[in-house]
Amino acid sequence: MRLPDRVTGSFLVVLGGAAAYGGWLLPPVPGQPVGPNIFPLVIGSGLALCGLAITFGIGSTFEEEEEIIPIEGGETRPPPGRFYGLRALLPPALLLFYVAVADRLGFIITAALIVYATASALGARWRLALPLAVLAPIGIHLIFSKLLRVPLPIGLLPMPW
Amino acid sequence: MLNTLIEAFALISTWEVIIALLAASVYGLVIGSLPGLSATMATALLVPVTFYLSPIAAIATIVAASTMAIFSGDIPGALLRIPGTPASAAYADEAYAMTRKGEAELALGAGVWFSAVGGIAGTLSLMILAPPLAEIALSFSTFEYFWLAFLGLMCATLVARSSPVKAIAAMFIGLLVACIGIENPGGVPRFTFGLTDLFGGIEPIPALVGVFAVAQVMRAMLTPEPPPIPKRKFGSIMAGQWKLTKKYHVQMTRGNIIGIIIGVLPGAGADMAAWVSYAMSKKFSKEPEKFGTGHVEGLVEAGASNNASIASGWVPSLLFGIPGDTIAAIAIGVLYMKGLNPGPTLFTEKASSMYAIYLMFIIANLLMIPLGIVMIRLASYVLRAPRSSIMPVIMLCCAVGSFAIGNNMFGVVTVATFGIIGYVMEANGYPVAAMVLGVVMGTMVEQAFVTSLIKSDGSILPFFERPISAILAAFAIGAVIWPVVVWLWQRLKRQAPAATPAR
Repeated sequence: MRLPDRVTGSFLVVLGGAAAYGGWLLPPVPGQPVGPNIFPLVIGSGLALCGLAITFGIGSTFEEEEEIIPIEGGETRPPPGRFYGLRALLPPALLLFYVAVADRLGFIITAALIVYATASALGARWRLALPLAVLAPIGIHLIFSKLLRVPLPIGLLPMPW
Repeated sequence: MLNTLIEAFALISTWEVIIALLAASVYGLVIGSLPGLSATMATALLVPVTFYLSPIAAIATIVAASTMAIFSGDIPGALLRIPGTPASAAYADEAYAMTRKGEAELALGAGVWFSAVGGIAGTLSLMILAPPLAEIALSFSTFEYFWLAFLGLMCATLVARSSPVKAIAAMFIGLLVACIGIENPGGVPRFTFGLTDLFGGIEPIPALVGVFAVAQVMRAMLTPEPPPIPKRKFGSIMAGQWKLTKKYHVQMTRGNIIGIIIGVLPGAGADMAAWVSYAMSKKFSKEPEKFGTGHVEGLVEAGASNNASIASGWVPSLLFGIPGDTIAAIAIGVLYMKGLNPGPTLFTEKASSMYAIYLMFIIANLLMIPLGIVMIRLASYVLRAPRSSIMPVIMLCCAVGSFAIGNNMFGVVTVATFGIIGYVMEANGYPVAAMVLGVVMGTMVEQAFVTSLIKSDGSILPFFERPISAILAAFAIGAVIWPVVVWLWQRLKRQAPAATPAR
């Protein structure tokens, strides 16, 4: 997901410009010279300036190369495929899945699906992933719903407590 | 004074506090020792739990978990050469070299012992520094608060180990996030895009959980699993630590002081303290050639330093509501929730609660020695847990925890969004810590800024008229100009050999 500085910099210029413009449109507090408009105006302009500087590569000399601590034992990994990088999007996607279906399916079932998916994506075999998918939601449900009284969605599978 | 102390003892000697302290300690030790799960993440995931505890018990969990996690990050650093938390990264190589020389006990023992010493030194600094600073802070007006907050934000960008321009950009992004909602000087919906969920603004805690926890699970999806730890028997862990203390007391003291200073600086936390102290130790050592070959000296100094910074990071948090580091940023959120709003009056009105915080820090650091030894002995079992069984549980905690904060699903959306933002920023060299501070401090900066502007009738001059505010302004502006000066200097130096004088 490493993008060229030119791309992130330009994005920040646009974002900052939009924020400054959006702030400028807001009405000031009646009878006062300033209001909710001034802060976004300042922040947005600052952000746009930073974005401009990044686009032109100012400050990149300060960046230190990330120190990657090599793992002993010479790991060999198959060369990642074209869509390998998209795996990183699985966790937020699963969270949105939770938002979408938790109210209908209930916490236990949704959580079990999330646990199973995450565990398998990280290379767990079904013999680990399946018991985990059963036990982890129940454990979390016990702590948060029973002990801390968080109203977790009940859905199709209510817990006996 | 004595009465407050007795009151403080009474506050912390309830079963709830004791159980919370112990449970959070074990939790902190385990999370800190697992590679990839940082102390900040451990603390952030605890916040939903603190909702349901009494104020003192809530703070006890934060104190205990953060203290323990910073130490226990040393364990996989020494045994696997993979730091458990970023704060241990500075000396993971050194500690691992000691393990290979057969001195694992000494390395880990130094980790426990000097972490505890550093933590207690940091607590003492909190006790000594905070009350007199509170006296001064009582006379602060919005001008001073504005400059203080500004200085804090600039410090956060200065110490980031990346391009200062990107760090400042990250900070602005955080401030922009804080602009969302109707909690602004005009009380009008701002950047809400018509979504009612955004009217209340972005809660800092789900944002933190997203940036530190979800982004970490995302990274785990693309990185190989760390190797399992070899089973081993440990000899006596504390043997030889007293000898080390006597031999390296100068290094230990220097580590403590550096840690305290870096902790007090807003925005700079334990990882920075460890890096600086390790470098200092090498620079001033009588035998610098031994560094990197399994030499305990740097471990002593950096281990003392990162734990000292944890307690002293609470100084600006308690006094001004300006976090000393990301963990303190979470602590501030908890303090507000529990009605202990940060500010100088906290030390006069809620003095017993303050003493209770000091006491808990000291207890947590003393508790670290026995619990830490147990943890080291159990490490070979704990570190065997495969990542594929831990990350799913973290995911569930993210979902449930962020839901619990407001009992609405929008929190979960926030967590997911900030997971992506944090992941993309980190991958491109934008320090997320600077953004987090921006989110946490945004409302306060804006309030101080706009109130000051209204007071001064739109003029800039009064920002510099009061003596303390002028000093703070000078520091803050210096912090802005500093990277520019360094950049120009580097540029001149690079051109100097090539350029021939024209005149």
